[in-house]
Amino acid sequence: MDPAPTISTQGLTRRFGDLLAVDGVNLQVSPGQFFGFLGPNGAGKSTTIKMLTGLLAPSAGRIEILGMDLEKNSVAVKRQIGVVPEGMALFGRLTGSEFLNFAGRMYGLDRETAAQRTVDLLDFMQLADQPKKLVTDYSHGMQKKLAMAAAVIHAPKVLFLDEPFEGVDAIAAGTLKAMLQGMIARGATIFLTSHVLEIVERLCSHVAIIHKGKLVAQGSLEELRAGVEAQAPAGPGDGAQTRGETLTLEQIFLRTVGGERRNEQELSWLG
Amino acid sequence: MTEPTPVSRNSQLAAVTGLRWRLFVNGLRTTRGQLEFFSRILVSFAFGSLALGGAFGMALLSYLFLSSGKPQMLAVFLWMIFVFWQIFPLMATAFSSAPDSSDLLRFPLSYSSYFMVRLAYGALDPGSAIGSFWSLGIVVGVTFAKPSLFLWALLVMLAFIVFNLLLMQMIFSWVERWLAQRRTREIMGVLFVLIMLSFQLIVPLTGHYGKRAQPGLRKFVDVMVPIQGIFPPGLAADAIVQGIYPQVLPALSSLALLCAFSLMIAYGLHLRLLAQYRGENLSEVAAASTLSKDRQLRPGWRLPGFTTPVAAVFEKEIRYLLRSGPMLFTLIMPMVMLVLFRFGAMNSARRSMPFFNHSPDLAFPVAAAYAILMLTNLVYNNFGGDAAGVQFFYASPVSFRDIVLAKNLTHGGILALEAVLAWIAVTLIYRRPGLEITVATVAGLLFAAPVNFAVGNLLSMYSPRRVDYSKFGRQRASQLPALISMAVQFALVGIGVSVFWLANYLGNFWIATLLLLLLAGISFTFYSMILNRVDALALEKRDTMVADLCKA
Repeated sequence: MDPAPTISTQGLTRRFGDLLAVDGVNLQVSPGQFFGFLGPNGAGKSTTIKMLTGLLAPSAGRIEILGMDLEKNSVAVKRQIGVVPEGMALFGRLTGSEFLNFAGRMYGLDRETAAQRTVDLLDFMQLADQPKKLVTDYSHGMQKKLAMAAAVIHAPKVLFLDEPFEGVDAIAAGTLKAMLQGMIARGATIFLTSHVLEIVERLCSHVAIIHKGKLVAQGSLEELRAGVEAQAPAGPGDGAQTRGETLTLEQIFLRTVGGERRNEQELSWLG
Repeated sequence: MTEPTPVSRNSQLAAVTGLRWRLFVNGLRTTRGQLEFFSRILVSFAFGSLALGGAFGMALLSYLFLSSGKPQMLAVFLWMIFVFWQIFPLMATAFSSAPDSSDLLRFPLSYSSYFMVRLAYGALDPGSAIGSFWSLGIVVGVTFAKPSLFLWALLVMLAFIVFNLLLMQMIFSWVERWLAQRRTREIMGVLFVLIMLSFQLIVPLTGHYGKRAQPGLRKFVDVMVPIQGIFPPGLAADAIVQGIYPQVLPALSSLALLCAFSLMIAYGLHLRLLAQYRGENLSEVAAASTLSKDRQLRPGWRLPGFTTPVAAVFEKEIRYLLRSGPMLFTLIMPMVMLVLFRFGAMNSARRSMPFFNHSPDLAFPVAAAYAILMLTNLVYNNFGGDAAGVQFFYASPVSFRDIVLAKNLTHGGILALEAVLAWIAVTLIYRRPGLEITVATVAGLLFAAPVNFAVGNLLSMYSPRRVDYSKFGRQRASQLPALISMAVQFALVGIGVSVFWLANYLGNFWIATLLLLLLAGISFTFYSMILNRVDALALEKRDTMVADLCKA
């Protein structure tokens, strides 16, 4: 028998006026999964993750996290999840140390534990070198690391990350990946959106693809690959199938959402 | 490779104008935008009345004084315009809504275009618009009295307008620079305290010498009258007066000196804007560039009687405030006002005694009321400084009731501190407020603060606006909360004045205390009701809150 899903949505929908940004999405993420949520720009990824973390109200549908209804038990759910949203949710005029300390106490840690974990996280993220620097003066990569540190300070069971590797250098990305893989090894569930398909392919065990607000694929990478191979013949530029090689996530993604590259000649004035 | 397209300054300025127009039109798409527009109309109507009424007054008085052969009185009006122009933007920060022109620096904007855009944004500030109207009112008055002087008076007053515009921008940009870093902020704070303390010496001295000091003071004023003539308001007045006789050379030299002042101020502004144009970083980091690794445990603050999250938000609010120089500056304005009134009293020795000298007992309640007014910048936009951080609040397992309570506790603490500082300032500058008036004022604060906090909490969620507390002006302020806050202040001041009047009429200020404490009970009940609704409201308004506070 399958364990109860950590994240589950039924008919999740969000409208912005006439625009249907998310259209009846049914997601299932099992415990311990590293789950990648993909989609082209404007497909509804960020809207979905905002609804899953309580930052945005759904127009319709139901969200369950760790078996609890998010709308009815929002505080209990939030106690057990960590979030790095699109805008990173930082307080610019605090130092990194003050922000983490603040975050820890907001998640219910006592003063001493929050202070101890602040020191540990700053050290791990290599942010301890400039203790008096304000968050607003951090580089983008440093801010990402700090947002990540704040999201894990209370050791959440589920972690939601919206584009965690965007603007992060290779060294910092390595640090973050190591931390995330460590969390998965300890039984946490991670739900992430990213445009960097190579990273998703390397990290995630399961993937869902959203396109124009609708969930068009969901499953393990192998399941997605098999589904795509069964449905469509090899397209232009992805000769892997014809050569007998395994399809990359990028190829699966492009075939699933029907992506086509425009001819460079259309912008001939670019020089 | 194609050659880069040459950039025309005019097309850039037209694009910036177009941008402002599109932002305005797009802002009308939402109900809140329409309400905001309606508020702007009301505010513009109020400021327009002040501008036109003042201009009419200036025109009439200029005409009367010129017709009766006292043209030198023009200097008084020009000094009034000058003081108003430079002080008003500080006193009414909620109504200043010039956007931050530094956002345009990502484009290939030449420095001269940047300078002009910055000046143009400044010219749209209500203080500048009103000052300009008043100045033009003087031109009208002078023209009616001496029609042949129209062009000359217009030229002089335009130069005066440019001077004021440049000076206001320069003061703002330099004060912002000084307040941006801890070291310079501390120096400014110490200077301010020294000025306050100096009154402790001046008051007993003037009191001790009594009437013997008056001839000296008059002599001082007699000396000051010609001296004021070498400063821009005096120069502008002199240029017009000399044009009447007509003394061409003195008139031209006064105008030339006025222009020289403007050039000097323009250079001061240029130094700041050039630094901004080159991409300076005004932050605390330069003052605190420690590179040592920090492994020291620093547990957060404890707030007895409150939960850990409330203490955490309280600590965060205080830290934010301590790093927000411009916001701190607006919070000490009540003390600045007391100092200014005292200066006014010393300089107007020949005329009737000003209000606070006549009724020093009222200095403390007025300063306390003004402290509340200044606090509305924070209270009516609770989450403005949090910006994207509001997402953290929504994602955290803490109720908004606790978050808002912590913010209100911070604001209450600031108000209490300001009341204490105002009490000390009044004691130093005027005399120690009596026990009855002190207690009645505290009761008044207990009545007014919960009402402001309750209404402020509601408006902070209905009409949030991202603000950067490290900047002086240069932000798009929301007019709707500003307007509503003004209405609330009028109502509260009206009630307060009525209560004080009644107590004064009955000859017992303890009656005022009793009535205000009764009102405080009602206002605290109202506050509690709103606070208990905050969670539901935060949930209802989360889309607006996140969208409005997170957008750059």
